[in-house]
Amino acid sequence: MIELINVTKNYPGKTAVQDLSLTIPDGKIFGFLGPNGAGKSTTIKMMTGILPIDEGTIMVNGKDMKKDTLSAKRIIGYVPDRSDIFLRLKGIEYLNFIADVYDVPKEVRETKITELTKKFGIYEALDDHIQTYSHGMKQKIVVSGVLLHDPDIWILDEPLTGLDPKSSYTLKEMMREHANKGKIVFFSTHVLEVVEQLCDEVAIINHGQIQFQGNMADMKQQYQENDNLERLFLELTQNG
Amino acid sequence: MGKMWTILKIMVKMQLSMAGKSNSEKAGYGFLFVFMIPFGILILYTLNTMIGTLYTNLSPTGNENVILGLLFVFITFIFIFVSLSTVLSSFYFAEDVESFIALPFHPYQIVIGKSAIPFLSLYGINTILLLPSLVFYGIHSESGLLYYLFAIIIWLITPVLPFVATAIVVMFIMRFANISKNKDRTKVIVGLLGFAFAIGINVLLRLDSEGSNGAGMTELITEQNALLSLVTKFFPNAYLSSITLTDPNSITGLSFLLLLLGVAVLSIILFMTVGQQWYFKGVLGLSGGKRSTFKGTDLTKQTKKKSLLYSLWQKEIKTILRTPTFFTQIVVQSLFFPLFIVIILLLEGNGSLSDMATMINGWADKTKLLTLFAFTIIGLGINPASFSSISRDGKSWFNHLYLPITPNTVIMSKLLVSFFLNGLSLIILSVVVLFFLNVPWGIWSLWFIASLCVSWVTSIIGLLLDLYQPKMNWTDEREVFKGRMIGLFAIGIDVIVFGVLLVILWFAPIFSNTASTSLFLFSYLLICVGIGQWYLRKMTKDKYTSVI
Repeated sequence: MIELINVTKNYPGKTAVQDLSLTIPDGKIFGFLGPNGAGKSTTIKMMTGILPIDEGTIMVNGKDMKKDTLSAKRIIGYVPDRSDIFLRLKGIEYLNFIADVYDVPKEVRETKITELTKKFGIYEALDDHIQTYSHGMKQKIVVSGVLLHDPDIWILDEPLTGLDPKSSYTLKEMMREHANKGKIVFFSTHVLEVVEQLCDEVAIINHGQIQFQGNMADMKQQYQENDNLERLFLELTQNG
Repeated sequence: MGKMWTILKIMVKMQLSMAGKSNSEKAGYGFLFVFMIPFGILILYTLNTMIGTLYTNLSPTGNENVILGLLFVFITFIFIFVSLSTVLSSFYFAEDVESFIALPFHPYQIVIGKSAIPFLSLYGINTILLLPSLVFYGIHSESGLLYYLFAIIIWLITPVLPFVATAIVVMFIMRFANISKNKDRTKVIVGLLGFAFAIGINVLLRLDSEGSNGAGMTELITEQNALLSLVTKFFPNAYLSSITLTDPNSITGLSFLLLLLGVAVLSIILFMTVGQQWYFKGVLGLSGGKRSTFKGTDLTKQTKKKSLLYSLWQKEIKTILRTPTFFTQIVVQSLFFPLFIVIILLLEGNGSLSDMATMINGWADKTKLLTLFAFTIIGLGINPASFSSISRDGKSWFNHLYLPITPNTVIMSKLLVSFFLNGLSLIILSVVVLFFLNVPWGIWSLWFIASLCVSWVTSIIGLLLDLYQPKMNWTDEREVFKGRMIGLFAIGIDVIVFGVLLVILWFAPIFSNTASTSLFLFSYLLICVGIGQWYLRKMTKDKYTSVI
């Protein structure tokens, strides 16, 4: 379970996230929505330890992100929204580096690397420098790296951007399997169709505050006049 | 024409913009300017003396035009050399190339826009070197007003021909040589050429050092007159310019000037035509890279488990070796100093080398140790690996933040990288010290251990400065080094920290022998290491997450 308790983040002259509380239960695919500049990325960055938390607490499977940072980070597999990864490394070197970071045993890493990269169709490009990869390939190598240590919690920031239909399908299947094992998949996206199709639960953030949290059925029931998610989203975030 | 002007303006603005530069960076530029004034005066003084001496020696035989010929050949040579790297990087390797190609501009318009900055930098050199030289020549030859008028026109058009010639050659090579596959290698070769050029100039200057301020060169010129006129003929602009200025009042002078102007205009037209024809053909497809097929045969070897610190260190080293800018600015630059010394020593010939060895071995052990030590400070003070530690990561820095790695481990891996690269310099210097200068092993080992400490401290100083004010938002790796005062600050701090130590050891009567000197030396260095280490931890804690 991930718990954000009264989390606040200030930038000079601006409050990006204000007194935000959110609980993400186990076994769910959790969609995180919001217009540009709503505080989505800031929240995710605090959840993954990239940004220090100004006020409040973030607990990841009982580990405090502020106090027990390293243990909390070990539980998470994070796919950032941009693929500015270590471009001068070869695909295989990057994966091995990530395996060293997460202490993945030798035998496991060999099988996992082969399995994941074959699944995403980048196995043959493993000996090339990441710099020569297309955006989609970079995304795939990052996703493969994240899954190497089999983390309990997946946090994915716009994970489907740039992926071809087959890889996108594969990743969505994997997300479902992961949630079915009782683990968490937390992801942000702008594509509302994906949310409708995939998510068990959603939260909508605007102006640094949660506007709605609940499951898809709840949401539709609460706003019966809105028969599609797009209109609902626009209504909820119209002041944005 | 209107569009060409638009693209020209936008490109100059983007390159010269101070937007996004912090106040301290701006102050740095001011500081650099003030710092350069004494150097400028020194250059002007040397130029004046050189031209004066040459003039006095050559005018009796009527050979004074050789001075101008030589000057123009020299400046043309510099322009060609500078243009080679600036044209390559501006036309082909800059990150913005692709965004301009997509816009509805003719190739020649983009090429003209892309020439703006390389051309402006040529005018910078032109103003520093050629303009004062022409004025000095005018003063020494007591020339009239017409000379100065012609000189200004010639000053204005001198960069055109070398630039155009180089740009056309570069565009030709890029069009036909299929360099796109070897983009990185081309960058490294151009970078290495820069250092070869620096060494070459030094060797040339050393050849002249036999006579002082141009007397040796006079001798060389008188002896090699035929050769020089031949060389001038290879650079027609140099030939025409020198004849025009030697005899500005004659019809020949005027007609050669008109000819020069004509050549300049024609070459610009040629440049635009060639640009229109070849530029896109050379630049398209540059961003593609080599592809191979992973067979998986070495997978077991490639997935070896390593300690986290070693893994991070290896990642850094690989990045430095594989990024052309990092390779030339960090590896080549730090090895430049020791290799340069080796080359100079070898050029000196055996006689003077053994003389030097005899001289050094005649010194007291303490003097030997301190001289070597002072020398190392200069060598290791220039430590680009350290002051680019954080900035090198650029936008990929944030990856360190979500991975479960402690800040201290990341920082330590970076420290070890610059320590390791300094180590390579120390090994080369050790060969010189032990085998060329025959310094005893005992003194060598004291020096070596002290140098390792210096290396550690200079690495910490550079790293601290970079951590304090890193440059992360670069689009081209060169921005990590270009226009940053950090290297200057680093060497300034090094000089203060170790200068104090040297002054104490050198002058305090209490340190009369090697034992007491070494004792104080190592105590001081250990204290420096301790303080550096403590401060680095503190800065890491304060700054690590706020770098981006």
